[in-house]
Amino acid sequence: MKYEMVAGFETHVELSTKTKIFCGCTTQFGGDPNTHCCPICIGLPGTLPKLNRQVVRYAVMAGLATNCTIPEIAKMDRKNYCYPDLPKAYQISQFDMPLCVGGYIPLSNGRKIRLTRIHIEEDAGKLIHRHGDTLVDYNRGGVPLIEIVSEPDIRSIEEAREYVEKLQLIMRYIGVSDCKMQEGSMRCDVNISVREVGSDKLGTRTEIKNMNSINFIAKAMEYEFERQVDILENGGKVIQETLRYDDVTNTTSSMRGKEDANDYRYFRDPDLVTISVSREEVEELRNLLPELPVQKAERYVSELGLSETDAALLTKYRKIAEFYEEASKGTKNPKTAANFIIGQIFRRLDTESDKEAFDIKVSAEDLRELIKLIDDGKIKMNLAKSTLEKMLDTGKKATEFISESDMGGLDEATMISLCEQAVESNPNAVNDYKNGKEKAIKSLVGFVMKNSRGKADAVAAEAKIKELIAKA
Amino acid sequence: MVDREEILKIATLSKLFVSEEELPKLTTDMEQMIAFADTINNAEDASTDFDNINNLCNVLREDEVVPSLDRDKILGNAKDIDDGHFLVKKRA
Repeated sequence: MKYEMVAGFETHVELSTKTKIFCGCTTQFGGDPNTHCCPICIGLPGTLPKLNRQVVRYAVMAGLATNCTIPEIAKMDRKNYCYPDLPKAYQISQFDMPLCVGGYIPLSNGRKIRLTRIHIEEDAGKLIHRHGDTLVDYNRGGVPLIEIVSEPDIRSIEEAREYVEKLQLIMRYIGVSDCKMQEGSMRCDVNISVREVGSDKLGTRTEIKNMNSINFIAKAMEYEFERQVDILENGGKVIQETLRYDDVTNTTSSMRGKEDANDYRYFRDPDLVTISVSREEVEELRNLLPELPVQKAERYVSELGLSETDAALLTKYRKIAEFYEEASKGTKNPKTAANFIIGQIFRRLDTESDKEAFDIKVSAEDLRELIKLIDDGKIKMNLAKSTLEKMLDTGKKATEFISESDMGGLDEATMISLCEQAVESNPNAVNDYKNGKEKAIKSLVGFVMKNSRGKADAVAAEAKIKELIAKA
Repeated sequence: MVDREEILKIATLSKLFVSEEELPKLTTDMEQMIAFADTINNAEDASTDFDNINNLCNVLREDEVVPSLDRDKILGNAKDIDDGHFLVKKRA
């Protein structure tokens, strides 16, 4: 029997506000334990929470960027559960009237992963378990989160990976979160079940909690898929439960039985009033959104003629896309700047986080000036490439390395004379070439390039040298 | 109707210990409370939005940092503390 995976995601994203969701304590990461706390966020009796305006705005922006509808009215609810990471024994969240409903994330295979909703809530504190005790730090308690809930539309690990990467990319682009999974500012819970291919019934699902790396998510889903298929093939039944993924053993284990929604005894938080998002504010926030990566990539392909691969590489991080657009502005061929960035500049940026930071010594304007020298026929590509290397090393402008005499190319007579010198002073290479070693010609061309300081046209030089050797 | 199992379930969720002797009285009390809520629901003007009775909307604050409370005060009411943390018994 063949089985398919059915998965849905609940993704928690920490918002980049300066302060917590209901009080003015800082959201800064780290800090000594319990130093970013006040009577509101540790839930002392008699305190009144007051909602941070920026949290509402960021959540609406996140919704608009993921094709959600923004209802006119939303409210906050209490989700009751008793665990030391919550000082009040309830989390303030949203139950039946969230800020955003019904969006989707388009995947490259043409499928859409529907979003049920995006709601706002407070993060819990951090627990450190030690011997029989637990240490509690509430610095993170009350930090604003959005929870992005998808429908069970994901059918493979590849789709899961793309979904999470796309969410991460969008949230970073619009600036509502840094989505650093390793620091916990983006975490995923995955609901996963299996069913026979062709069936439209959903199987019993399990939920794998709190994963903070895309690779772990992929591994955990693979393990859980196999585990559930094994159970079914042996005539057993999957139990609905909450699981923890252990990245060391690459297995999942049970945390607790899945609570019914009723057990959280959701009810409206009487301390917090209705949230109303006016249509004017929705439009204002929509106008604040930058062009999103998917739209950008499509435009690079259709308007600028870049390949899909190049467009994807250039739009992956906002800084790179902005640099590219600035560097290619007004140049003859948009591919030239793309090639410099993807080739020479990316070679210096080893990791994804290096690319994201895009900390290089050359400004987009300086790269554009270099490209204009090529456009105007003043320098050849070889010289441009070696110049860019020097610019990347030093941060100096192209004109610091290219003299007036380098520009304007090489006159015909000088070029011929250099080719003659190349043939005369390299008899070994000439012989090798004559004996069928095609590659030997390269060292002769290299001689011309070196002695013309890169000004010669390599193709023309090669033709001339071949002609000279043939004549000899 | 409220039965004793429901009371026991609510007690468990609320982390309360309820003795056998207390059960009958709690069951009656709970029934009366629910009956009272039903009375409100059956009131003539049932269209009133009791959820938002004071008609307030968008009481929001700006995203500006204010100093947090001194840690000694934050931890002041704690039964046990350790190294700047609240210290509690480990729970499953």
